[in-house]
Amino acid sequence: MGTETKSQTTTAQKFQALILDIFFGIYFVVTLHRVFYYQVLLSLRKLPPVTVEIVLLYIGIGTIMGLALFFLNASPGKRIFRQLPDIPWKKAVAEHFLWIIGVLTIATGWVVTRVSILDFFSQEGLAGAKRIFSALLSPEWSILPQALLAIVETIYLALMATLFALPVAFILSFFTARNLMRQSPITLGIYTVLRVLVNFTRSIEPLIWAIIFTVWVGIGPFAGTLALMVHTIASLTKLYSEQIENVDPGPIEAIEATGAHPMQVIWFAVVPQIVLPFLSFTIYRWDINVRMATIIGLVGGGGIGTLLMQYQGLAQWHEVGLLVLIIAIVVWIMDYLSARIREALV
Amino acid sequence: MALIELRKLNKIYPNGVHALVDVDLTVQEGEFLVVIGLSGSGKSTLLRCINRLIEPTSGQILYRGQDVTHIQGKELRQYRKKIGMIFQQFNLIKRRTVLLNVLTGALGSLPVLPSILERFPDNLRQEAMEKLRIVGLEDKWNVRVDALSGGQQQRVAIARSLMQHPEVLLADEPVASLDPATSHSVMKYLKQLNTDYGMTIICNLHFLSLVRTYGTRVVALKQGKLIFQGKPEEITQEWFKEIYGEEAEEVEIA
Ligand SMILES: Nc1ncnc2c1ncn2[C@@H]1O[C@H](COP(=O)(O)OP(=O)(O)OP(=O)(O)O)[C@@H](O)[C@H]1O
Ligand SMILES: [Mg+2]
Repeated sequence: MGTETKSQTTTAQKFQALILDIFFGIYFVVTLHRVFYYQVLLSLRKLPPVTVEIVLLYIGIGTIMGLALFFLNASPGKRIFRQLPDIPWKKAVAEHFLWIIGVLTIATGWVVTRVSILDFFSQEGLAGAKRIFSALLSPEWSILPQALLAIVETIYLALMATLFALPVAFILSFFTARNLMRQSPITLGIYTVLRVLVNFTRSIEPLIWAIIFTVWVGIGPFAGTLALMVHTIASLTKLYSEQIENVDPGPIEAIEATGAHPMQVIWFAVVPQIVLPFLSFTIYRWDINVRMATIIGLVGGGGIGTLLMQYQGLAQWHEVGLLVLIIAIVVWIMDYLSARIREALV
Repeated sequence: MALIELRKLNKIYPNGVHALVDVDLTVQEGEFLVVIGLSGSGKSTLLRCINRLIEPTSGQILYRGQDVTHIQGKELRQYRKKIGMIFQQFNLIKRRTVLLNVLTGALGSLPVLPSILERFPDNLRQEAMEKLRIVGLEDKWNVRVDALSGGQQQRVAIARSLMQHPEVLLADEPVASLDPATSHSVMKYLKQLNTDYGMTIICNLHFLSLVRTYGTRVVALKQGKLIFQGKPEEITQEWFKEIYGEEAEEVEIA
């Protein structure tokens, strides 16, 4: 049996190595041609369009390269799984190929993000940096009342999102805790569906949710609150349910053994073990939400982020300076307070 | 009629471990039955099958002649009410008071909503205080249980199970995390329940010396099979070696 499983894993790995080789081949051809040839060698600003023929050519040449490397045993894929036979020159080919892939990747990254030392240190650039930093250092205090009002709006927005999300996440977390839901196929089905939904919701950033909701309910704090709330429900549900999955099963057994109803078991054996961690997660989440609410404001979710966006659009850098200062102070205070409260809880 | 009867009971865990193999066992009312066996021999599994915290894979459990192997819901909860249980790790609700922990023993007889709001009737509170008196902890009623010593916590657990008015008490290695002196004090409370109230006790134990002092009958498990049944004094050197293996040496607990 041992040998069988071994040969199985090697077959699986061989297949993965083959896939990797083909991928490396195509990646190599594409980056070499489009990035290295056009942009580094020819320094083209605008690339020629991608046609179907070109794509087929890339795939064809890349696949042939990958297959050749694979069957000649100079395969970078096999090298990654440490499955190359001990022939020095073939190993060297595979390894050099991997190095070239690495270099090409960094070159591509450089080109894609338009890294330009020239821009960074140009006369004009440095003047701009000087202008914004000096503006930030001499904030415009006259808009202080307006800024405070906006940051208060942001803090409340985060608070409301957290508070509304809390009961929903609390209830959902019991249905997404594996140890409570594995009793019957029905509960396990509910668990699976909810778990997938929660993970999916959580994987969409609050910023994206904000864009969705500004379209849905219009620009303003309400869209921001909804966006934060949805994301907070998903995150808290996940954190809470993990906590429920880690409770000590001993008290559950003990309360079950008294003939208690499942509701009583949850209330007396599960809930006391989770309230403090739940509270601590919730406060932590509020702290995160204040920061996120600022960002969400940038896309029209209301609060200080929206104000910041407006002044930035008008290039009123002294005003921007004041807002940045206030955001920094508030975030720092929230961070400090939430850490302190959480310390006291645990 | 026997109080509890297990017929050809088998438990196979999802991971394939065969923890109980064709166990036939009869428990009479008023017995102090001790279950011994090496770690992993299936003692805890056996106890948890009796009150159905674990579902047996096959076989039958009879309680006073009634088949309880497959009862569910309310019927199961009412059956469990008759069977108290205490554990090696006490399994109390930490951070809560002694009194509240004792009161949870009565949950099976209380309606769900009021009990969750912790509205316990006065007579129940008084009864809880009485149970605490039995285990000698009445002056600790308002202390958080995690501030108590191990022996005290086990006595709270005993008081909790007494709130069920159990006919049987299952004890899963009740003294395994206690020192010798405390062990004896806890065992004495169990013995007292057995002799004074006629409560049937089924107790898993590690130490043979405790078995001889407290048990009226002993059964031994080895790899899930019941290999010995008899009086404590019938466990000879040969049986001891059979149960615990050739290498084992008997240790005394003071
Ligand atoms: N939930 C479970 N899932 C899988 N296997 C289990 C489970 N509980 C117990 N087992 C296995 O079943 C066997 C019997 O376990 P059990 O806990 O009944 O033994 P025990 O005699 O009480 O041992 P101990 O003295 O260590 O408490 C062991 O091999 C154990 O590993
Ligand atoms: Mg055990």
